[in-house]
This record gives sequence, C-alpha cells and structure tokens, in this order.
Amino acid sequence: MIGPLLILAGGRAGQPSNVVEWFTDLESRASLRPIPEQVWLTVWHSGVAVVAVVMLALPLAVVLAHHRRAELAASWIINIGRAVPTVTIVGVLVIVSLRNGFGLEPWPIIIALILLGLPPAFTNTYAAVRGVDPSAVSSARAMGFTHRQVMTRVELPLALPVMFAGVRTAAVQIVATEPLAAFFGAEGLGAYLRSGLSTRDFPEVQAGAVLVAGVAIAVELGLLLVGRLVLPKGVRMHASAGRAARSQRREAAPATI
Amino acid sequence: MTGRRARRWAGAVAVVVLLVVWTRARIDGLSVDTQATNPIVRWEWVFLREDTRTELWDATLQHLRLTFIAVGAGTLISAALSAIALRLRWSLAPITAFTGFLYTIPSVALFGLLRSRFGNVMAAEVALTSYTLLVLVRNMVAGIDGVPAAVTDAADGLGLSRTRRLLTVELPLALPVIVAGLRVATVTTVGLVGITAIIQLGGLGSLIFDGFGTQYFTKIVVGSVLSVLLAVVLDLLFHGLEVLLTPWSRRPVVR
Repeated sequence: MIGPLLILAGGRAGQPSNVVEWFTDLESRASLRPIPEQVWLTVWHSGVAVVAVVMLALPLAVVLAHHRRAELAASWIINIGRAVPTVTIVGVLVIVSLRNGFGLEPWPIIIALILLGLPPAFTNTYAAVRGVDPSAVSSARAMGFTHRQVMTRVELPLALPVMFAGVRTAAVQIVATEPLAAFFGAEGLGAYLRSGLSTRDFPEVQAGAVLVAGVAIAVELGLLLVGRLVLPKGVRMHASAGRAARSQRREAAPATI
Repeated sequence: MTGRRARRWAGAVAVVVLLVVWTRARIDGLSVDTQATNPIVRWEWVFLREDTRTELWDATLQHLRLTFIAVGAGTLISAALSAIALRLRWSLAPITAFTGFLYTIPSVALFGLLRSRFGNVMAAEVALTSYTLLVLVRNMVAGIDGVPAAVTDAADGLGLSRTRRLLTVELPLALPVIVAGLRVATVTTVGLVGITAIIQLGGLGSLIFDGFGTQYFTKIVVGSVLSVLLAVVLDLLFHGLEVLLTPWSRRPVVR
C-alpha cells in the first residue's frame, strides 16, 4: 500500500510540493521564463489593448450616442460582442494569423483582446452619454454654450464615472483573458498554468493561478483607486448617486469573459 | 424615410455580397497545394466523415450539460442569497461584493486552481457556478425590488401571507428581470465552458483547442460557429420561455 506512494513521492522529489516552495525554488522552473518577464508580457499586451479600446470605443460610442438613429447599430455591436465566446475570437484569430504567416505574438493576441474589451467600454460610454440629465444639457445651451462646449464641459464630465467604470471592466477582462493566449502557444503569465496543467504539476498550476488572479485584482483595485483620485468628487458614483447610475451600471454589466 | 431605409438595406446587402465575394476570392486565390494540404474548412470532414456527427453531438451535449448544471446550481444558490439579501437588507452589500469578487477572478486561474483540488468536472462546475452568481443575484434582487409598492400593499391588504405574496405576486411580476439575468448568465456560461478545454473538458471549446493543436482549421471553425449558435439558441429559448410565462406583458420591463 505504501510502496507505490513512496515511488510516487520519489518520482516527484525534484519538484516543489507546494506553492510556497514553487515560488522559492528557482531551479524547478528554469525551463520557463522568469516571473517578472511573464508579468511584463501580459501587462504589455493588455496595456496596448486597453489603450486601443479606449481610442476606438469611446469616440464611437460618444458619436453614436448623439445620433439616435444609430441605436440599431449600437445594440448590434453589444449583442454580437456578448454572444461571441472568447475562445472563438482567439481561435479565429489563430487561423487568420497562422495562415497568413504572422505567427501568434504579439499582434493577433492584442487584436483578440481589443475585440474582447470593446463591448463593455462601448456599452458603458453609450449609456453614460445617453444618461446625462437633459436639463443640464439644455441649461448649458441656454447659457450660450456651443455644441462642442456642451460636449466637453457638460456631457463629458457628467458621463465620466460610468465611462470610467466601463473602461475598468474592459481592462480587467482583458488582463484576465490574456493568459488564455498561453494555451495557444504564446508566452505570458498563462505559461505557468499551461505547463503545470500539462504535466499535472499542481503547485505550478496554483502558483500560475495566484499570479494571474493577482494581476487581475491588482488592475481592478488600481483602477478603482485611479478613479477615486482622478474623477471629480461631484460626479463620482456612490451610494447616493441614485438608482439611475446604478441601473446603468447594471445594464452595462459585462457578459463575456 | 423609406428611401433612406431602402438605401440602408441596399448597403447591408452590398456589404454581405462583397464579403462573400472576397472570401471566395481569398479561398480560390490560395495556391492549389496550400488548399489541398490545409484548407480553412474541409467540408468532407464536416459532412462526409462517419465519426464527425457523433463527435460534434458529444461535444455539444457536454457543452450543454456543463452549462445547465452550472446555471441550475447558480440559480438555486442565487435564490437563497437573494432571499437573505431581501430579508436582511444589510447583507445585500457584502453579498454583492462577494459575488463581484468571484466574478473578478480570471476564469483561467480559477479553473486551474480548482483543478488542483478537485476532479475536472467538479472544478469546472464550481468555477462556472460561481461566475453566474453576480448577474443572477443582482437581477433577482432588482426584480423583486422593482415590484411597485402599491401592488405589494394591495397583496398585504388582501391578507396574503409573506410566502404567498412572494410566490403569487412578486415572483411573477419580477419574472422578466429574473429571466433577463438568466439569459445573460447562460450566454456567459456558454462562453466560459469553452475555456474549460484547458482542463480537458470544454465541449465545443475542446474542438477549437484540438484544432489548434493539430493545425486543423476545420475544427476551429466548426467549434466556433457551433458555440456561437448555441449561445444564440439558448438566449432565444429563454426569451421564448419568458414570453410564455408572462402572457400579460409582451415586453420586458427592465433589461
């Protein structure tokens, strides 16, 4: 009874037996790139994707929110974005890039992440601009604000908290999904999970999971903090901001990971 | 107005036609040997191969099974959590924070972490269930909260007990919002099930991973198309259910 167990343990003698050991035992993961490098890869890919999402989704949503006729297009984008699973996006991009000889890193990954981040950022911005109190807009008009002034000085500040929440959701989703690229042969934080799961090295899996979750939670908390520091106090979303803001957030809840 | 609409339709049709022509041109333009060695879709694999049908069917069934168990368990847990939140108001904030925290954990990490403790089905179900809680609890609470006070007052005036008021008055009125939550949770779960391919499950997602591993693009395409279809079909089914269950209102109150 104990014999096989001993053999099993003996076979695994070289490997760390728990997460802490994995983190301290540098030799056991010599075959993989060091942690800082993987973190940097993940953060770099995600960062570019988030910037692109902000540059694409926000202007588009602001413009569409002003042209009510585009409502159909807007709801289309949202619904399609929600229905398409992440694995599908990654899978299709893998085909496209491999067939055309682009390889996998880094652009196909980044494009997939952008596609993933667009819906939440877009939805929230759209809802935020549409949700601006019309009386605020008309009083600004009455005070002689030009169209541009209304947009930059009234609508934008009022819409900012919900917009920012959308960008935060998008950013967290992007950072949380980047590790999936490792399962399609890329490098990044997911590499530890991939290698651990394929060799049933569970301490490595746990370490990888802790790292991935840690980065995602750090991004979430970091952006919450940035929001606190950057957003003007008067427009910030808090408990007393009323049902309107909350129901907008509810509507804009992310539906795909 | 009609002219504009017609133009828009013409535009949409033109885009579709262009896309089709472009894809055809791309496919035809590939050199003969690339086409032969690795075409994007091997139709004979999809339609003529004997085992394909059973493989696809099994993958779809596994996908559905994983999805339904997770959403079912999620619904039960969410119902309990919502009941607590509605009874004890102060518990709403911590419950929302907790389910929100669960939602923040990256799926890849959670699947991996749980897999190191449980078997793969258990790991997948626990993770998938925990992701459904946020949307479900939020919508259940919002749905019951959204019932007009006049209606609940009237129910109280009729002498309904609290349980009866919940079952016969509040629940039916909250149904559209609850079903909206179920739809979002189901579509999300269908997407997430694909990722369980990293722990040797995955349903249709495993086709995508297999296809990648063997550079067999057909599997990737078929897996992708079927999982999108599955999400859309389930979404429509839930919508149908909602329409059937709430004959008095033909459109949802809150989305």
